[in-house]
Formats: sequence, structure tokens, C-alpha cells
Amino acid sequence: MWKILFEYREGFTSGLMVTLALTGIAWGVGLVFGTVFGWLAHRYARSAGLALRVLAFLTASIPVIVLLFWAHFPLQVLLGVVINPFLTAAAVLSIVNILAVAGIVNAAVKQFPQELITAARVCGLSEWVTLRRVTMPILLRQITPSLLNSQVVILQCTLFASMISVEEILRVSQRINATAYKPVEIYTALALLFLVVCLPLNIIAALLKRRFDRNLSER
Amino acid sequence: MLYAETISKSYGERNVLSEVSLSVEAGSACVVIGPSGSGKSTLLRCIGLLEPADMGAMTLDGKKYSLIADRKRMDPPWPDLTVVFQQHFLWPQLTLSENISRPLERRMSKPEIRRTMGELIELFDMADFIRRYPNEASVGQRQRVALARAFALRPRYILLDEVTSSLDVEQIEKLFRHLVVLLSSGIGMVIVTHLLGFAKAIIAAAPKSSIVFLDGGRITESGGRELLESPPPGRMSEFIARMQLAS
Repeated sequence: MWKILFEYREGFTSGLMVTLALTGIAWGVGLVFGTVFGWLAHRYARSAGLALRVLAFLTASIPVIVLLFWAHFPLQVLLGVVINPFLTAAAVLSIVNILAVAGIVNAAVKQFPQELITAARVCGLSEWVTLRRVTMPILLRQITPSLLNSQVVILQCTLFASMISVEEILRVSQRINATAYKPVEIYTALALLFLVVCLPLNIIAALLKRRFDRNLSER
Repeated sequence: MLYAETISKSYGERNVLSEVSLSVEAGSACVVIGPSGSGKSTLLRCIGLLEPADMGAMTLDGKKYSLIADRKRMDPPWPDLTVVFQQHFLWPQLTLSENISRPLERRMSKPEIRRTMGELIELFDMADFIRRYPNEASVGQRQRVALARAFALRPRYILLDEVTSSLDVEQIEKLFRHLVVLLSSGIGMVIVTHLLGFAKAIIAAAPKSSIVFLDGGRITESGGRELLESPPPGRMSEFIARMQLAS
């Protein structure tokens, strides 16, 4: 396995970089805009909230791979444009992540126990101090495990980009396998790579969930 | 002086409070008793400016507050007026100690916070559990912390909603002694309770104190200590008899 990895190191590295770039864009855009959208959906339930519910329902019903295909082929034909598949994949994965993050943030804000804010008010804490010292720490504890899980899913979804010719790690692995025909070594290396990245994130999410669930309950 | 006048509040068609008025002088208590669902907690939330009323106003040491106005447009009197809830509402991400000290950070120096904390920890016997998180403490321990958090703020008026419900007899006695100290130092209180003995003791400790009987969102009886000793025949008399039975 190591021999194959070393022999095709340039190919693997470039594929890995594309995967990481795709993941980075989807994570960054999703976390920033998803948080804002989630908050807006709570603040303006009739407009932004409704939009989030409809979009989340639609994207939950359509597999990511179908969305990618649709955005890459029919949409571009309909619009009469040709877009780099990397950009198409980045846009689709970002939108999916925005909706996932917005859903998590919106649910956490909705379920936030208002009594804790009331307690802060009667203790004379200002709105800003309440936000910084009461609301945000509790919200972060509530949403962090779910956010980590959703980001792992997004990382795994980057593999679908290979279906629209993005030269990410899976597509590169397939091409190397077509030349070297060492499927066991190549796909084991790929699995290990994802294991190294995803497993710690999943473990951290599970640990945080256990710890924060315990700390937030008042029996 | 705290004077709440003609507070009315309804949820849809259901009237929860109908033109309720009460007053509390500094250094005295107004004890509110009444059956479950009579509007006692809603009354405290309206007076505490935590829930808008449909009608009503409050005057606190000469400053008038509309109880129907948008809270954001007024300068609320917290924590000069503070509330202790039956359900505690401790911040779960902080230890019990931090729950008490956090609101003091911008009000007191560190040595003063330490001294206040020390006094309250001793008063409520909290040394054994003060470093725990709320979910690691018993209901009674959390209740003591909620009380300590309010007392540490040194309010001028304090609203207590069924705060004895999860305390044992020893803690109730300690709480009573501390309330007497606070009353004698000029703090005014509105106390909702189901404990007849506790209500009588509070009234006896602060001569200017009063008692009101809330039933169906209306104050049907009000008066001093004699009202508890010999309530007029009717709904209040029946209720007092049940309180005695429960005691």
C-alpha cells in the first residue's frame, strides 16, 4: 500500500488538495451563512423561517448526488452556460451545508430555555452580557456536536463530486487504479484517509454531546 | 415603596388577573396566598416586569413603570427589584458558585464578592456542593443557590415565588431568619407561599406586612395578621383550613 501511495504521491496529493479545498469552501460558507440564515429563520419565522423549512424539505428529499448532476448538466444547459465542475460542486455542497447548519442553529435557538435569559435579566445583566455569558455559551454547547456531525457528512459528500468530473481524491484514486490495478491497496488507503479525518471528529462530537447533555439538564 | 395598581392580564378569553392592586413598604412583606391557578405566579411575573399585563402600572420608590409597555423601551429596575422563581433557572454551564458570583462581577470588587459568597455559603450551608454544576445538585440545593444569587445582589425589593417548596424544615427556618434580617434592613418583599406557618411568621416578624388572598385572578380578601388568625367565612376560610391540614 505504501509503495503505491509513494509511487502515485503527486496524484494522491493533488486529489487530496481538491477534496480539502471543496470541503473548506463548503464548511466555511455553510457555517457562516448557515448560522446567519438559521438566526434569521428564527427572527423572521414567516419569511426566512418558511423559506428555510421549504428548502430544507426539498434538499432532504433529493439526494446530494442528484443535486450535483442536476446543477452540472440540466441547469447549465437551461442557463446556456458552462461552469467549472469544481465551482458547481462547491456551490451545491455549500448550499446543502448552509441549509443543514441553518436547521441546527434555528432548532437550537427555538428550543433555547427563555427562563435562563429571564434569570439573567432579573439579576441585572445587560442584553450584551446576557448574550455573551449566558446565551452564546449554552447555544454553542447545544449545537457543536450536531454541527460536527453535519460537517463530517459534508466531507463525505465531496466524494460525489467525482461524478461530475471534479478531480478530487476518489476520482484520482479511480484513475490510478485504472492504471495500476491495485484496488485493495488504493481503496484501503482512501478509507484510512477518511477514517483519520472523520473518526476524530465523530468521537469529539460524541464526547461533547455526552458532556453537554449532562451539563445542560436540570434533572 | 412598591405599589402595583389595577393589574389585569388575560390569555385569550381566560382572565388570569383582574384589577389586582397591592403595595409593599420598605422593610415589610406582602404575602400572597391562594389556590393553584389563581394567578399568583403571573402576578409576580407582571410586577417583576417579566410579562406584559393588559392593564396596570407599578410605582417603585417614586418611579412609575407601565406594566403594559414594551420592556425594551423602559429602564427596568433589575436587580433593585429581583425575582426568585420556584423553578430556580440556574445557568447550567456554570458551577453553582459561578451562578451566584457571575452577576456580581460588574457590581462589586473581587474581595467584596469573596466576602459576600462566604457569607451566603455559610448562611445556606452550601460549602459541600457549591463547586458542583446545577445538574449535579439536588432540587433543594439548587433552590438555596437561587435564593443566594438573588440575595447577593442586595435588591431593595424581592419577589419570592414558592421558594420554600423544595426546602427541608431546617432550611426553611434558616431562610425565614435571613428574610427577617433582610426585612429589618429595609428590603420589601412579595412572597407567594403555601406554608401557613411561614406566612404567619413573616407577618409577625414585620408588623407593617400584609396578606392578600388571590382567587380566580382577583384579590378577594386582604388585611394583616388577623386575617390569617380568623379568616372571614367563605373561600379563604376553607383555603386556610386546607393549608393547616397540609401543614
